[in-house]
Amino acid sequence: MEALFGPGMLFRNAVLGGLLVAVLCSLLGVYVVLRRLVLLGVALPQASAAGIAAAFWLTGHTHAGLGTHGSALVGSLVATLGTLALLLVGQRGAHMPTEWRVGALFAGASAATVLFVALNPTGDLEMTNLLRGELLALSDGDLWLLAAASAVGLLLFFAFRREILLASFDPEFARTIGRDPRRADALLFGLLGASIALGVMNAGPLVVFGFLVLPALAALQVAPGLGAAMAIAALVGALSSVGGFMLAYRVDLPAGPTSVAVAAFAWLALALGGRLARRIANGRAAAASSLLGLGILLAVPLVLPGCASNRARDAAPLPRGTLPEFSRSNPVAVARFRNETATPLRIRSGNPLGETGRILHSDDRLDWTVADALQLHAVRELARRGVAVRSFEEDRKRLPDLPASATDAARQAREAGLEGPVLFGRLDRYTFTGTGMLLVRLELELVDAASAEVLWTGSARRPVPVRGALSDGELVLDAAPRIFAEAFGSD
Amino acid sequence: MSSVHEPAPLLRLVDADFGYEGRSVLRGISLEAVPGEFVALVGVNGAGKTTLVRGLLGLLTPLGGRAERSPKLRIGYVPQRETLDPLYPLSGFDVALLGACRDLPFWKPVGAAERARSRAALEATRAERFAKRRYGELSGGQRQRVLIARALATEPAMLLLDEPTAGVDPETETAIVEVLDALRAEHRIAIWMVTHQLHALGGHVDRILELEGGRLRARTAPSCAGAAS
Repeated sequence: MEALFGPGMLFRNAVLGGLLVAVLCSLLGVYVVLRRLVLLGVALPQASAAGIAAAFWLTGHTHAGLGTHGSALVGSLVATLGTLALLLVGQRGAHMPTEWRVGALFAGASAATVLFVALNPTGDLEMTNLLRGELLALSDGDLWLLAAASAVGLLLFFAFRREILLASFDPEFARTIGRDPRRADALLFGLLGASIALGVMNAGPLVVFGFLVLPALAALQVAPGLGAAMAIAALVGALSSVGGFMLAYRVDLPAGPTSVAVAAFAWLALALGGRLARRIANGRAAAASSLLGLGILLAVPLVLPGCASNRARDAAPLPRGTLPEFSRSNPVAVARFRNETATPLRIRSGNPLGETGRILHSDDRLDWTVADALQLHAVRELARRGVAVRSFEEDRKRLPDLPASATDAARQAREAGLEGPVLFGRLDRYTFTGTGMLLVRLELELVDAASAEVLWTGSARRPVPVRGALSDGELVLDAAPRIFAEAFGSD
Repeated sequence: MSSVHEPAPLLRLVDADFGYEGRSVLRGISLEAVPGEFVALVGVNGAGKTTLVRGLLGLLTPLGGRAERSPKLRIGYVPQRETLDPLYPLSGFDVALLGACRDLPFWKPVGAAERARSRAALEATRAERFAKRRYGELSGGQRQRVLIARALATEPAMLLLDEPTAGVDPETETAIVEVLDALRAEHRIAIWMVTHQLHALGGHVDRILELEGGRLRARTAPSCAGAAS
């Protein structure tokens, strides 16, 4: 958790950004649900995603001018607010239900997103990350922009809360007392559009839709009043966001979907708790059930990661393959792997949280590469085959330099006071074909630290099928078990 | 028009036409609303009752003729309760408070005066026991009394109610009419009520106005009420 909340706070921007998106969407979501605009909550994030894809296509995904995030923001805002305007203008004198038009827009926006991505010849990985929402890539500038926009949005929302309520609950009555519900609607939809545009850009359509709907649904199950519904929705949103992040970090899952899953769990807990309480006692017990539900929600990130950690520890052992027997008194040290592919193979921001977090204390964490990830997986895979290993963190600390060869790795180990075997790896090829195949050539050598004698060699050269990986990090994660199974001769 | 013996009208329509997008639905409507009068507005479905209500509220501008209103006239509007979504987590008090906040600027928080006005309105409509209950969980008649309290909390000179007794049992219907009659008697509020159920009004109603074919005609004898239903 130090990566999330410790002094280094590698994920500070991601946690805070996710929190802002969650709270803002949860609050506005109360009106999305009450006004029965849930379908709009799906269609607008999709329109926003289409806007981002269109902006990249039009600008050729260049970094000039406003830069990647600037053009994404413009595309997202224009598409979301444009879609809203289209819906509101089209509502006048329309003979078809709003639901039909929202459904049509959702279908159109979904198709447009896929087509704009397909049309874009460059930068599809980064664009895919942006479309999925990339909280990990949130820069300080993005965070400040999000924080400022959230502050303004919240201020307006609370300042005009009575007007928004009147326009939503009874617009006709609002008109009779001299209030124009169209202005309040314009404010509400403007806030909704801006929040969705910013949210999709930073957290992705799934997270935005999830937080527009689930915390509000959860809150409305138990809240005694509208103010309480807002407060509970914001709290559920905040806890789901941070709790989901903690859970994703521990279990090594994508943060956004995990947060949404936690919010869905909160909804179920509060809905069941609320129903139970109403049956047992009366409406007043709903408040107690809400506390119970929130307690359960709080416990999620504390309990589940424990289960997950146990699961990881208890992973089924694998056959030893061609690896020799070692003395358990001298665990194997894994030196840094060399990258001889002539490309840096940097893992960009899409890498899973856990892997990046595990090298938190390393100075070169920002240059986390495929070679580094393979070193980490080598430690894991050796352990799964019953080989005594040092922790990855210890290896990185005691063998910080990149060895030129296996002999050089042995020398480094000696100088670091290590005894026993040292594993050295050299990556000669790492090419993703784009058709779901990864072409790899990895050479491994195990040498004795004291004598530099070669104890074992192995290699992985077979193409690895990795369908469905959407980022560099996921690619390594999916491919590593097969690569090492071949190299260790245990596939 | 009014003499010294008659109260000044709150609102007067003179040969007024009302409609939508330039097309008249009601033609040549002339009427007066005076304080303390109980008026029933009847007509078959599609006769133009809702259009007339919108015209009286000032939400529609006359396409012809003219509408005269006394300065600072406040009309408390009670819509058909089915138009309000029971999903909103609002208590009876919250709903009444919406009316009490009529003059409250958006930046000012709700104060003691608004709360007191809401409580008084709920008491006047005998709905104080619904103050803490969720609006969506109230029965039809109970909701209706809360909505009348909301309109009353705006401190109106005239109450305009759109079918307040539709779909409620006869006992509740009588109770609602009695509440309205008491408001007319104690506060001199003009009560204008769109209804299909004249029988429940009994002797409370002073005038009956009937819309037919886009025109208004008066049926003044309260004794007709029972027969008309």
